[in-house]
Amino acid sequence: MSEITDAKIKEENPEIRKTSGRSNNALDRLITFAAVIVLFIFFSIVAPNFFTIRNVLSLALQTSAVTMMGIGVTFAIITGGIDLSIGSVVALTGTVAVMVAIAGVPIWLSMLIGIITGVVTGLLNGLMVTRLKLPPFIATLGMMMVARGVALTITNANAYPAPQGFGGLGNNTIFETGPKFPGISYPVIIMIVVALVFSFFLSKTRTGRYTYAVGSNEEAARLSGIDIKQVKVIAYIISGMLAGLVGVILASRMITSQPNSAVGYELNAIAASVIGGTSLMGGVGTVLGAVIGSFIIGILTVGLTMAGANYFMQQIVIGLVVIGAVTLDQYRSRI
Amino acid sequence: MENFATDMEVRNSLPAQEVILEVENVSKSFPGVKALDNVSFDLRKGEVHALVGENGAGKSTLMKILSGVYQADTGTIRYKGKEVFFRDVTQAHEAGIGIIYQELNLIPHLSVAANIFIGREPTTRFGTLDEKKMNTDAVDILNRLNLHLDPTIKLNRLPVSKQQMVEIAKALSVNSEVLIMDEPTSALSESEIDELFAVIHTLRDRGVAIIYISHRLEELRHIVDRISILRDGHSVSTDDFSAISSFEIVSRMVGRKIEAIFPPKQNVPTTEKLLEVRNILRAGILHDISFDLYRGEILGIAGLMGAGRSELGRAIFGADPIDSGDVIMNGRKLSLKSPSDAIKVGIAYLSENRKEEGLAIKMRLAENITMANVREISKRFGVVSRDQEMEAAQKYVKDLNIKTPSLLQVVNNLSGGNQQKVVVAKWLFCDSKILIFDEPTRGIDVGTKYAIYELIGTLARQGRGIIMISSDLPEILGLTDRLLVLHEGSLAATLITANTTPPEILNYAAGVVTSIKGDTDMSDQKLTQVKGQP
Repeated sequence: MSEITDAKIKEENPEIRKTSGRSNNALDRLITFAAVIVLFIFFSIVAPNFFTIRNVLSLALQTSAVTMMGIGVTFAIITGGIDLSIGSVVALTGTVAVMVAIAGVPIWLSMLIGIITGVVTGLLNGLMVTRLKLPPFIATLGMMMVARGVALTITNANAYPAPQGFGGLGNNTIFETGPKFPGISYPVIIMIVVALVFSFFLSKTRTGRYTYAVGSNEEAARLSGIDIKQVKVIAYIISGMLAGLVGVILASRMITSQPNSAVGYELNAIAASVIGGTSLMGGVGTVLGAVIGSFIIGILTVGLTMAGANYFMQQIVIGLVVIGAVTLDQYRSRI
Repeated sequence: MENFATDMEVRNSLPAQEVILEVENVSKSFPGVKALDNVSFDLRKGEVHALVGENGAGKSTLMKILSGVYQADTGTIRYKGKEVFFRDVTQAHEAGIGIIYQELNLIPHLSVAANIFIGREPTTRFGTLDEKKMNTDAVDILNRLNLHLDPTIKLNRLPVSKQQMVEIAKALSVNSEVLIMDEPTSALSESEIDELFAVIHTLRDRGVAIIYISHRLEELRHIVDRISILRDGHSVSTDDFSAISSFEIVSRMVGRKIEAIFPPKQNVPTTEKLLEVRNILRAGILHDISFDLYRGEILGIAGLMGAGRSELGRAIFGADPIDSGDVIMNGRKLSLKSPSDAIKVGIAYLSENRKEEGLAIKMRLAENITMANVREISKRFGVVSRDQEMEAAQKYVKDLNIKTPSLLQVVNNLSGGNQQKVVVAKWLFCDSKILIFDEPTRGIDVGTKYAIYELIGTLARQGRGIIMISSDLPEILGLTDRLLVLHEGSLAATLITANTTPPEILNYAAGVVTSIKGDTDMSDQKLTQVKGQP
């Protein structure tokens, strides 16, 4: 009974295919991806300087922060939660890293301490959600305020310049070949690595699988023996850790501690995740989706600026895109 | 069916009482089911009329037609002498037919008065809420029920029984002349039931006609004037309550003979104990329950709604905490603190609510099958092997004949029967030795039921132990070797299926007979009887 080969299954049950179920999803993915291409073409026409190597590289650099935050928050959202604290955590971790470096700690270690600070905030969020049983919205809203407050307190709301060498991570590039190709910035490389690692983690590992299971049906997951508390804590830790990474990168790019930076970034990251197909109801979402969503926002921002639209106009367009993307998603899931 | 036709004619009616509601030859079909077939029924002013029948007899459908939720396909309803047709709930409500559902339909954060008048709030001439009038009117209505409640108190501050009174007050606030109560006592304690009965008496004396639906036969005699029995969508009889015995009621309720909807028996229980459950206690829910499960046996758990059937299953699985008691498997005492403990030793629980508790409906078929044992396919560094997953999924799709276009189909798109099979596959993939099926065929069509029954038989034949919780009596009788009957959280009886009858089971379940019959140990003699079953 157990020796059923693939061929046999197909023979007796010709309609069973391994991949057809994905096609729907793949099509969805394709549509979102096509949107990116269409935007590129559109802005290339309306803004002649848009599609240049220099501009594309700078777009990637600008988008990297929200992309990584979007990847992190996607984990929290898939479990059925949310993480509103990441914007403030970016500011906190950046200032912590700079302040520690100013105190004389080696650059690499101070950066690591910054990232660990992000991990700690994520852990606290996770514990508040699973142990204190707070709604994720409330727990992370509280953390958002606390993290910002701590960042402002330790810097006394000042921007302190970081020591020599702190700016390397955010400002250096590789593959530089002269003025024609200014090289790829480190943050872009980091973003690509982060996307690959967490995409693998979410789609290929046991914990990744559990993340979906918990968000899709918490009770079913519990009755299947899954430790749902652990899964949720891990999701918030990932969210906090990536916010910490972004915080360190941003502080490095500015070579100062900026306790007032990244205000509202959490909403951009959530928007990116949602545009990329993550469901706020939980159980649905991908890392690639968050990346694409973030790039849609990035392209719109840069493209509209270059096409001469002002900041207020950009806000309107991005807002409409979020609404449109989710409406489309609802419509698709109904059929 | 013919022998009951005489009963229909023998309605020895009380001295001329005005008939307020008359249902004549009402039929109602749903896709694949004829829920009501020429049902007739009449209700008199100032009477309490019980409506009883097994699950699926058509009680709720009939009530939903009377209250305007459904519309009859054929037949007529006369209300106060005039033919009526309620298109929706509001029409029935305005005509004076109120219904109190089993689940309370109240808003916990609003006041008593606000709940009574919800949707019909009195307003002042400025268009704002007239709280004063609402509160005084609420007091009037509550007084009519001999209830002295503060109308401004928030509903969630009241015990369930009082909340139910508020529900009744809400129905009366529109001057209901007919009140339908669906299992009104299911959530009440003894003393609260007395309170409810006092209110019912008050209403009856004021001329309100009450249709009272209940499974608890023993409580009917305190309040009921007449009783109508439904079975399989047909009206069986209507009698004065005093003229009919409890045993007669039960036998009419289950009178149907079991059709050949069960596969031939496949499993032979052994004498090898697989599971020993000893003195399980969970305060207020399970009282000191002990039983054994043998290798290859299908053990049924019967009982009425709220008897603790699912709770017992969940307790053995570690899904609900217990206060005391032991579960022993292969001679070893188990620590069942969470489902993962139970899964590790090979116990599976197939939930009554497949969608809510059994499946991650947004996830794929293969992912659901491996969900409880992802470890098995992610042995290298926790990385899930798609190939191994597909292999496992293919095996079970084949073995259980799951009909799906793809192994990666999202389970939400599968039919109910196939979803059930996916849940079974999930637990087979964990190599479960004991499978607890909770209402395995609820919401599944007859054809697929047969397949599920066959599957359960096969699983038992392979030497697994099966516990089958079901409110479908024929199903329990058709499949199990032995059965436990629960009554209000206690073990009322342990019966050998081949030697029992539906009335006997229902008598234990309804608490009509309370002495414990049988024991938890299977003596050799009884075992031979089981083996001798076809």
